[in-house]
Amino acid sequence: MSQILIKDRIPREELLDSGHLACPGCGAPIAMRLVLKALGEKTMVALPACCWSIIAGPWPQSSLRVPLFHSAFETGAAVASGIKAALEMRGDLETTVIAWAGDGGTFDIGLQALSGAAERNEDIIYFCYDNEAYMNTGVQRSSATPWGAWTTTTPAEHPEMRPKKDMLAIMAAHRIPYAASASVAYPDDLVEKVKKAKGIKGTRFIHILSPCPPGWKIADEESIALARLAVRNRVFPLMEVENGERWRFSVDHPGEPVEPYIRRQGRFRHLGDAEIAEIQRAVDERWKSLERRVQHGT
Amino acid sequence: MKKVIVGNHAVSWGVQLARAEVISAYPITPQTQIVEELSEMCADGRLPARFIKVESEHSAMAACIGASVAGVRTFTATSSQGLLLMHEMLHYAAGGRLPVVMADINRAVAPGWNIWTDQNDSLSQRDTGWIQLYCENNQEVLDTTVQSFKLAEAVDLPVMLVLDAFYLSHTSEPVDIPDQADVDTFLPKREARLKLDVNDPRAFGALSPPDMYMELRLRQQEAMEQALEVFDAVEAEWGERFGRRYGAIEPYRTEDAEIVLVTSGTVTSTARYVVDERRARGEKVGLVKIKMFRPFPTARLRRALAGIPRVAVLDRNLSPGRSGIFAEELRAALYDLEPARRPGLDGYVIGLGGRDVTPDTIGECLDRSRAALAAGRAPEREDLWVGVKP
Amino acid sequence: MPDDRPIAGPARGVSPAAASTTPGGRPVAGTVQGAPRAAVQATPVERPIADTVHGVPPVAVSTTTTLVNRTGSWKYIRPVYQDKVAPCNQGCPVGIDIEGYMNLLREGRTQEAIELLLRENPLPAVTGRVCYHPCEDGCNRRGFDDAVAIHAVERVLGDLALASPLPPPAPRTWPETVAVVGSGPAGLACAYHLARLGYGVTVYESELEPGGVLRYGIPEYRLPKQVLARELERIRALGVSFRCGVQVGGELPWSALAEHHAVFLATGVHRSRPLGVPGEELPGVRAGLDLLSEVNHGLRPELGRCVVVVGGGNTAMDCARTAVRLGAEVTVLYRRSRAEMPANEEEVFEALREGVHFEFLAAPVEVMGEERRPEEEALEAIRASFDEEDARRSALRLAGLRCTRMALGEPDASGRRRPVPIPGSEFLVPADTVLCAVGEEADADALPEGLPRDGGAVAVDALGSTGLPTFFAGGDLVDQPHTVAYAIGSGKRAALGIDRWLRIRAGELGDGTDLAELRYGPAGNVSMTRWRGDDPVQRVAPLNEVVTPERINTDHFRHAERHADRQHPLEQALGGFDEVNQGLAPEEALAESRRCFNCGVCNACELCLIFCHDIAIRRRGDGRFEIDYEYCKGCGVCSAECPRGAMAMTREGL
Repeated sequence: MSQILIKDRIPREELLDSGHLACPGCGAPIAMRLVLKALGEKTMVALPACCWSIIAGPWPQSSLRVPLFHSAFETGAAVASGIKAALEMRGDLETTVIAWAGDGGTFDIGLQALSGAAERNEDIIYFCYDNEAYMNTGVQRSSATPWGAWTTTTPAEHPEMRPKKDMLAIMAAHRIPYAASASVAYPDDLVEKVKKAKGIKGTRFIHILSPCPPGWKIADEESIALARLAVRNRVFPLMEVENGERWRFSVDHPGEPVEPYIRRQGRFRHLGDAEIAEIQRAVDERWKSLERRVQHGT
Repeated sequence: MKKVIVGNHAVSWGVQLARAEVISAYPITPQTQIVEELSEMCADGRLPARFIKVESEHSAMAACIGASVAGVRTFTATSSQGLLLMHEMLHYAAGGRLPVVMADINRAVAPGWNIWTDQNDSLSQRDTGWIQLYCENNQEVLDTTVQSFKLAEAVDLPVMLVLDAFYLSHTSEPVDIPDQADVDTFLPKREARLKLDVNDPRAFGALSPPDMYMELRLRQQEAMEQALEVFDAVEAEWGERFGRRYGAIEPYRTEDAEIVLVTSGTVTSTARYVVDERRARGEKVGLVKIKMFRPFPTARLRRALAGIPRVAVLDRNLSPGRSGIFAEELRAALYDLEPARRPGLDGYVIGLGGRDVTPDTIGECLDRSRAALAAGRAPEREDLWVGVKP
Repeated sequence: MPDDRPIAGPARGVSPAAASTTPGGRPVAGTVQGAPRAAVQATPVERPIADTVHGVPPVAVSTTTTLVNRTGSWKYIRPVYQDKVAPCNQGCPVGIDIEGYMNLLREGRTQEAIELLLRENPLPAVTGRVCYHPCEDGCNRRGFDDAVAIHAVERVLGDLALASPLPPPAPRTWPETVAVVGSGPAGLACAYHLARLGYGVTVYESELEPGGVLRYGIPEYRLPKQVLARELERIRALGVSFRCGVQVGGELPWSALAEHHAVFLATGVHRSRPLGVPGEELPGVRAGLDLLSEVNHGLRPELGRCVVVVGGGNTAMDCARTAVRLGAEVTVLYRRSRAEMPANEEEVFEALREGVHFEFLAAPVEVMGEERRPEEEALEAIRASFDEEDARRSALRLAGLRCTRMALGEPDASGRRRPVPIPGSEFLVPADTVLCAVGEEADADALPEGLPRDGGAVAVDALGSTGLPTFFAGGDLVDQPHTVAYAIGSGKRAALGIDRWLRIRAGELGDGTDLAELRYGPAGNVSMTRWRGDDPVQRVAPLNEVVTPERINTDHFRHAERHADRQHPLEQALGGFDEVNQGLAPEEALAESRRCFNCGVCNACELCLIFCHDIAIRRRGDGRFEIDYEYCKGCGVCSAECPRGAMAMTREGL
């Protein structure tokens, strides 16, 4: 089939309700929707503070059709560990327990708890939906914010000048059984990875790039297209790492130039050709390093 | 079965008897023995529980919260800095109405580093919504540990049982350890009323708007109020089964007393000794031990202290810029008594950072209060420091 | 192109918008604007907590879902399903729903694909072979990798149709009968469609067998007679009767057709334009059409060793390749350069492959005769008394063609640069036979008197009416490209025009027809299906707008190589008149159908649904979709991600 037909690979079950409070075009609900489709109704969600704290709906609402616990910012992995332990103690070995955190709750404030859970190999799946800044609080930089990006705390005159933290490598370094990066623009790949993760015991980490139209300063309808570009141009490669050692690419990354991706986003508007060339250079370099990992292991 | 055990192990034994299902903790002196013992119990099968050995106290409480909202009995233990690190999650446990039980070994707060006892760690958690129970000896520690689970699960509130560093935690005393079967009858397996349940999926703790938040706090407050009565019932049942009761407060030789000491923790035992000694000399002194700090047993304290001419509160803690915290609480509690029956109140700050509180220390407090009473003098200050260098 | 002036009166054809509600057909996305809310989403479930005091449970625990939030109120634009027109459909002179049959074929619904094809095209096995597929020129896939091999797929479907049982006679709905004069592609198409519309149809053909240019013009190696014969069988089976060997306007006067209620003229063009140079009357100078006809009649004339074909059109290519098969060394003389050649690129390619030599920028100046020896002339005179064939052979008496080199000057009326001779550049091309293929024209004498004319062509309106009562015309008689596909298209338009005219005359139809609504795209041919209003393909809120490449989201497609037609090996091809192009195998055609983008028409790929973050798009029981505007926030991702431009964002209704 010339069209990449994915409908038969996306489970039909819906465990996310309409009426949630995500901004139009937000990638985060698509990510949750797909993940829950892959996991099914026997799933419990530990949700530290993030955009999803809002998306899930204010009390007395819930947009999820699975149990959900709203928790403190830095506790996703720890709360999920506790839930899982409780289920085990009561003989429920079937329900999947996940933590669902943003990039702030994962890369920054929640990293300690995540590292702890990963090191203990807690039997949870940790999802980070990454919109590359503190979007819920109004676009402040996080350690997931890419080099060169504007945020309200990295104004255009002094944009973010550190590269995005390599979260997948950090998690791989914990030698957890499964770590992967995924994208809302590749639903079939995402679903496949979640299903695979579900079948593995131990800590599993899935990092999902999820564009934020207001934070990236893009049009609502562009979010999926940009997420896709980020994969095609190798800014956000889609990978799997097993036991911290076996790295592989899960989709094609044609290696298109980064420029259209950068130019289409208002958060990079202040960048000139030289800066974009620098981003390209960094992406190329990292790609080479990833290729080495794929070829030779870590 | 009687065993000679340190206070920390009394906690461990209590947790084992209570059949906690998920334990999560992080080491800190002087609490560490609790979790060491529990680790062994979990490892050798005496306690069939999951012990999550987290990377911080914050995560310890977070894991307990996760386990508790999933419906099981949970326990953690900490001290001092660890408790302070947990602070955010204490609110989560209480606001989430989760019956987590925690042992806090009262240890002073840095800086300078100090591993010895005072109550500032636990008392600075006053407003987190936790029930706080201060223990006097290792038997009480064990008994209170088991009772705490029953109390917590009855009112859906977390319970912090508090014991002094070293004076209890590392001091061996004979402790009667009840039979497991009896404890099982007293404390059946937890059945959560609301929990994460795939068959009844709900969200817990979502954004709560101003038009709804306040009622949540009102219900929390009502549960706290209820906790006092429930504690009585729990103690009554415990007393029936095991013959020991402690009370939310314990008046001791307060009949016709002119001066009554108000104490908590191990200072109480020393104070008892001093009261007995002074009574033997004909002095009309007594004491009231406060076991339950939250909910604060206001009415009972009023009843116990109304008409007493002078009350001397011994605070092993300090709210800087104000006074000892128990004194502060009591001043407020007694304020509504009619003036004729309202005692004069001296708030003594003693024993911070593990400084010894000897019979002499307490004697000095009594003497100063007696002098003030005789002179009809109000206290010169609200914080009367005793046992400090001039 | 025929004009689109509205023809007054309500259309008998159902408008495209109304057609979307036609039940049945393939499951295709749609929208239910105005559908009852209850059908869309159940009322949110309230699940109260028994332990409620002060109006609240003990903790902030959910008791309802976010369905209580009608977040659809956030939007300021809304998505709609809006099918459009694929460029191939608009590009098809026949007016075939190409996208439609590609989709059916892709879904494995081959029989329905064939039926959809036969709705518009009576001769798919023919056009699949001989049409120069302008459909593929517009294919949006062209800019992605390569156009879909539409012609090859059509051929496979056409051949499958030929292998199927013949259809039953078409029910005779109307009392009127129609005469079709000429049985070439235009006449056959008109007869076919009129029969299917319920009329009695008689086709008059001057030759002994029907088919016109399909039989006597197009060489066997491009269109085997067997294929034509089977296509004709199907038309006959519908009830069309043929009267062959009858020259209307000759032995049968036009007045004899008065028994019919309408007449369709499709007699074609048979008269070759002259070269206009001295010596063209010499024996050995021949009309290309005559040669093709002769060969198609089964004759194999001697052309001599050197043959020069003058002209650059498809007839010239047919002549050249036919001459090659008759053993000649062939030179094609064309006065412009290759870029200007009107012949189809594939024909030129094939001619080159078969060894035809091209002289571009060269024009004939004079045909040079050769002196003959008297004894031979006597001999030839004797031979000539035996039969015509020998007489022809005697014509082989040319020395060659004197030519001049040309240069391209200013553009002429056709937009092509006018060739001008280069003085002193003359040269001689040796030739035993010169085949003249510089264009054909109608034989005006054979047509009824009083027909309005537009230059050499018969003037007709958009639906083939000549303006004379009862007379309609099409095919090469009218001003349009002289290709089989255009001829079929004009036959269909005339059938539609005749139907409409007869029904208006019978007082059964008003006189308003919005022709634009019947077209595939603003510039496409009319659709008989739209006229009949019984499209089996459900279109959703269709817009008669052609999908441009920018509307295709190629991110959702993989590159896939186009399947090339299989060609007979050269030595075999040149050995006779066997069909050169072997087409594709059915499974290859299926693969081509999978390459189709299905431009502009939802094929239920579900990407809109998958990417809807508001979960506001749902499948309906009938396989179509609906958008729940109560919850759709109008982000536009569905429309942006639609691979085929079948959605749009609109302010409509807001």
